[in-house]
Amino acid sequence: MSAPALELSGLKKSFGKAEIIRGIDLSIGKAERHAIIGPNGAGKSTLFNLITARFPPTAGTVKLHGEDLAGLQPFQINRKGLSRSFQITNIFPAMTVFENVRCALLWAQGYRYSFWHLVNRKRELTEGAEAILEQINLLPRRNLPAGTLSYAEQRALEIGITIAGGANVIMLDEPTAGMSHSETDYITDLIMKVTEGKTLVMVEHDMGVVFNLADRISVLVYGEIIATGTPEAVRADPKVQEAYLGAALEAEH
Amino acid sequence: MSQTDLPDPARPKEQITTDPSRASERLRAGGLTLTIGPWVIAAVLLAILPSIFTSNAALTIMNQMWITVVFALAYNMLLGQGGMLSFGHAVYAGVGGFACMHIMNASDFFASFPLPVLPIFGGLFGMGLALIVGSFSTRNAGTVFAMISLGVGELIAACSVIIVAFFGGEEGISGDRTYAMPFFGNEFLQQIDVYYLTSFWVLVSAVLMYLWSRTPVGRMANAVRDNPERAEFLGYSARWVRFFSFVASGFFAGIAGGLFAINYEILTEENLNTASSGVILLVTFLGGVGLFFRPIIGAIVFTLVQTVLSLQTELWAFYAGTLFVATVMFFPGGLAGLMMMHVPVFKLGKARLLILPYLKTLLPAAIGTLALCALVEMTFHVRHAASGDHEMTLFWTTFDSHTALPWIVAIAIAVVGLGIARMTAPALRDAWNEANTAGGAA
Amino acid sequence: MELILVNIIDGLVTGLLLFMLSAGLTLIFSMMGVLNFAHASFYMLGAYFAYQISLALGFWMGLLIAPLVVGVMGAGVERYGLRRVHQYGHVPELIFTFGLALLIEELVQFIWGKNQMPYDIPEVLNFTAFSIAGNSIPAYKIFMIFISVAIFIGLLYILTRTRVGMIIQAALSYPRTVEALGHNVPLIFMGVFGVGTALAGVAGVIAGPVLGTFPGMAFVLGSIVFVTIVIGGLGSLWGALVASLLIGWITTFAKSYNLAMSDILNGIGIVTPSDLEGNIFRDIWSVTSPQIADILPYILMVLILIFRPQGLFGKRHS
Repeated sequence: MSAPALELSGLKKSFGKAEIIRGIDLSIGKAERHAIIGPNGAGKSTLFNLITARFPPTAGTVKLHGEDLAGLQPFQINRKGLSRSFQITNIFPAMTVFENVRCALLWAQGYRYSFWHLVNRKRELTEGAEAILEQINLLPRRNLPAGTLSYAEQRALEIGITIAGGANVIMLDEPTAGMSHSETDYITDLIMKVTEGKTLVMVEHDMGVVFNLADRISVLVYGEIIATGTPEAVRADPKVQEAYLGAALEAEH
Repeated sequence: MSQTDLPDPARPKEQITTDPSRASERLRAGGLTLTIGPWVIAAVLLAILPSIFTSNAALTIMNQMWITVVFALAYNMLLGQGGMLSFGHAVYAGVGGFACMHIMNASDFFASFPLPVLPIFGGLFGMGLALIVGSFSTRNAGTVFAMISLGVGELIAACSVIIVAFFGGEEGISGDRTYAMPFFGNEFLQQIDVYYLTSFWVLVSAVLMYLWSRTPVGRMANAVRDNPERAEFLGYSARWVRFFSFVASGFFAGIAGGLFAINYEILTEENLNTASSGVILLVTFLGGVGLFFRPIIGAIVFTLVQTVLSLQTELWAFYAGTLFVATVMFFPGGLAGLMMMHVPVFKLGKARLLILPYLKTLLPAAIGTLALCALVEMTFHVRHAASGDHEMTLFWTTFDSHTALPWIVAIAIAVVGLGIARMTAPALRDAWNEANTAGGAA
Repeated sequence: MELILVNIIDGLVTGLLLFMLSAGLTLIFSMMGVLNFAHASFYMLGAYFAYQISLALGFWMGLLIAPLVVGVMGAGVERYGLRRVHQYGHVPELIFTFGLALLIEELVQFIWGKNQMPYDIPEVLNFTAFSIAGNSIPAYKIFMIFISVAIFIGLLYILTRTRVGMIIQAALSYPRTVEALGHNVPLIFMGVFGVGTALAGVAGVIAGPVLGTFPGMAFVLGSIVFVTIVIGGLGSLWGALVASLLIGWITTFAKSYNLAMSDILNGIGIVTPSDLEGNIFRDIWSVTSPQIADILPYILMVLILIFRPQGLFGKRHS
C-alpha cells in the first residue's frame, strides 16, 4: 500500500511550559479531502505551522508521502509538493494579480534563480498564469495591484497562488474566514474545482463548508484529536458534541 | 452592486476591469512590457548633450552624474527591488575601482585589452567581494542586514589604510588611462572621449539592470521584499534570492567604480568609506526608492546640487542633510514619487487647475526659504569668518554682515514669504483635491 | 603585571563609556525596534552642550544640565520626527535617523566650527589618583568609572524595582497590552527615547575632555557602538555590557602591547618571505597590533555574525 499523503505521528509542540499540541496521530490519504475543526484556541493554526515547518515540533514526526520532513525549511517542503494558504491574507500587495500568480509558477516551471530568461517572453508562464486566473475567475482583474482587490477576491487569489505551483498536498487555513454566504459558496465551489484529484487539508470554522467539502473530519480540542471520521460519524460522536456544547453543530444542521 | 460581489465574467463592463491588450492599461498597473522607446530617447539624449553643454567643466559634471546613476541603480537593486538596506555599499564600487587602477598600472598583460573593457573587471572584482560578504550577510534581512553592512563596510574601509599594497594608503592609487591600446585609434585623452565611453557604459548597465528586474530572480526579489514568508511557500529560499540580488548589485557597483577609475584616474580610501555609502543612500532615496528609473533623478539632482551649490556656499552639506531629512519625513517617495503623484491629475486632464495655486504657494515659499538660507549663511559668516572680514556676498549683493540692515531685510522677506505661503496653502490643498477627483465641473 | 592592571583600568573606562552608549541604544531598540543611527550624535551634543555650559557655569553644572537638554531634544525628535516616519516602515526609520546624524554633525560644525573645542577636565579632578609601576592613573578616569557604574546601578534599580520600570519592561514586549491597561504608551516611548539619548549625553559630557570634543566624535564612536550591540546581541542589556567591556579591554590591550603579525606568523611556523618589499602580502606581515586595534571590534563582529549570528546574548529569531 502506498504511503499516505500526510502522516503525523506523536506530534507535540510546547512553547516554554505551555503545551499547545499534546500528541497528534493522523493519517491523510492521497486525494482525500480532510477538514480540521475545533474550538478557538485548540491549536489548529499551530498544527498547520508545525506541518509546514514554520517552527519545529517538540516531539513527533511529520511525513509527506512517506518522507520525514524533519529539519527541512519551508521552501524545501514546498518543493516536495506541499503548499499552504494563510489565515491572514498573504499575497504580494504591490504586484499585479497576474504577477502574483506568475511568481507562484516560477519554481514549478523550473526557472530557479536564473537571470538569463525574461519572464515576459515565456509563453508557458503567461499561459499558465492566465489559466489559473481563469480558474479563480480573476482574469478581468489581471493588471490591478493585488492590494486593491476586495477581501473575497484577495482570498481567491491566495488560493490561486497556493495551487499554482502544482503542489499535490494543499493546506488551506480558514479559507472562508470573514466572508458572506454568497462569497462562502463561491469559494467552496472554487476549492472543490481546483483541488480535484489533490489532497486537501483544511482548517475551517464554517460547518456548512466542512460538510460540503470534506471526506473526513478531525476534531482538535486542546491540542488533541478527539475524533476522526466521516462527517456524519463525527457529528454523531458524543465527545464532539460535548466539546462544542452541542449547540454549534445543531445550529449548522 | 455590493463591494464584495465577485467579478462575474458575464458582466465585465460594470466593474473596474482592465483590458490587457491596451498598452496604457499595462503601464498603469506597472505592466512589464519591454518598450524600446525610452531607451532610444535616452541614448539620443546622451549623445547630443555634449553639443549643448560644451565646456569641460560641464562634461566633468555630466560624467560624474552618469557614474552616480550607475551606482544609484545598482544600489536600488538592493534597496528598492530587494528591500535590503545597506550602509556599506561603497566598498564594492571602491574595490572595483581599485582593481581597475591596478590593472591600469600593471601595463604589460592588460595593455592588450582596450580601455572600454576595463569596467567589466571592476564589475568582476566588485562581484567577487559581494560573493564573499553576501555569503554570511544575506542570511538576514532588515535591521540586522543593515548593521552587518555597516560593520563590514567600516572594516574594509579601515583595512584600506593598513593594506597599502592594494589600497595605496593615504595617497590612494593613481594611474593613467591611456595605458592601453588605442581603441579604434582613440587614446581617450580628451574629456569628450571619456564622456562617450562613460555614457556607453551607463546605457549598457542600465539596460542590463532593467532586464535583470524582468528575470525570474529579479521578480522573486520583489516578492521576497514584499512578503518573504509567502515567497518561501512558492518554493524560493528568501535567503538565496537576497544573495543573488546582492551579488548582482555588487557587480554593477563595481562597474561604477571602474568608470570612476577611468574618469578620475585616482582612487582613495574616500571611495570606500561610510560617508560615500551614505551619499549613495541619500541619492537613491532622494530620487525615490523602488521603481527602476527613480534613482536616476536623484543622481542627477544630487550631482547638480553638489557641484553647483558647493561653489556657492560652504554649508551645502548642511542643506543636503536638511533636504534629506525633509524628504524622509514629508515625501518618502522621493522626487520621483512627487512627480508620480501628479500622474492621476494629468490623466484626469485637470493639471490646469493646479498651476495658479502652485504659483501662489510655492513661489512665496521658495523666496521665504531662500531668505532663511540667507539668514543661515549670515549667521555662519558672523560666527566663523576671520575677524575683521565683515563682507560677504550673497545672491549677487555684497554687504556687511555685521550691520543690522541685511538681517532685517532677510527676516522680513522670510516672514512675508513663508507667511503668504502659509495663507495660500489651504487653497492649494483644495485645488489638489479638486484636481484629483474624477468628474465635477469641466 | 602592573601594566596589565593599568590596561584593565583603561579598558574599563572605555568599556563603561561604550556601555553607556550601547545601553541607551539597546533600550530604544528593544522598545521601538528602531536602531537609532543618531545615537552617537546625541553623545556629541552632550559634549558640546557641556562645554558651552561649562564656559559660563562650570563643569559640574554642565554635567547636570547638558544631559537634560540632550534628553529633551531626544524626546522631541521622537515625538515630532520618528513618530511621523514610523508609519512608513523600518527602512525609512533607519534612513531618518541616519539623515539626522548627518544633520546634527553639520549643525555642530555650523555652530561651533570644525576645530576641537577646549573642553577640559575640571581643575578639581585634574590630578593623579595613584601610580602603578610608573604609570599615573588620573583621578578623572576613576571619576568616569564611578559615574558610569553609578548610572548603571541606577538604571538597573529603576528598571527592576520601581513601578515605572515594570511598566517599561512590559511595554518593551507588549506595548499594545500595556496601552490597553491604560498606560500612556506613546509617552513612555518618548520618555525611553529621551532617557536613552540623555544617557548618551552623559557619556558625551564625561568623555568630551578625554576623547576630544570635535565634530567627528560621533562618527568615530558611532559605528563601534553598533558593533558592540551586534556582538552583544540586539536587544540584550547584559549583552551590551559584556560586549562593551570586551571591546574596551581588547582595544586597550592591543594598543599597549606591540604585537607584530610577523611574530605571530613566525610563531606558528610560517617563515617571513625574504623579499618583503615586493611581496603583495607585505602589509599583513608588517601589521602590528596597535594598528589594527581599532578594527578588532569589526573583525570580532564579522566572526560573531558568521558563527553565532544572534550575538552573545541575543535571542534567536524564531
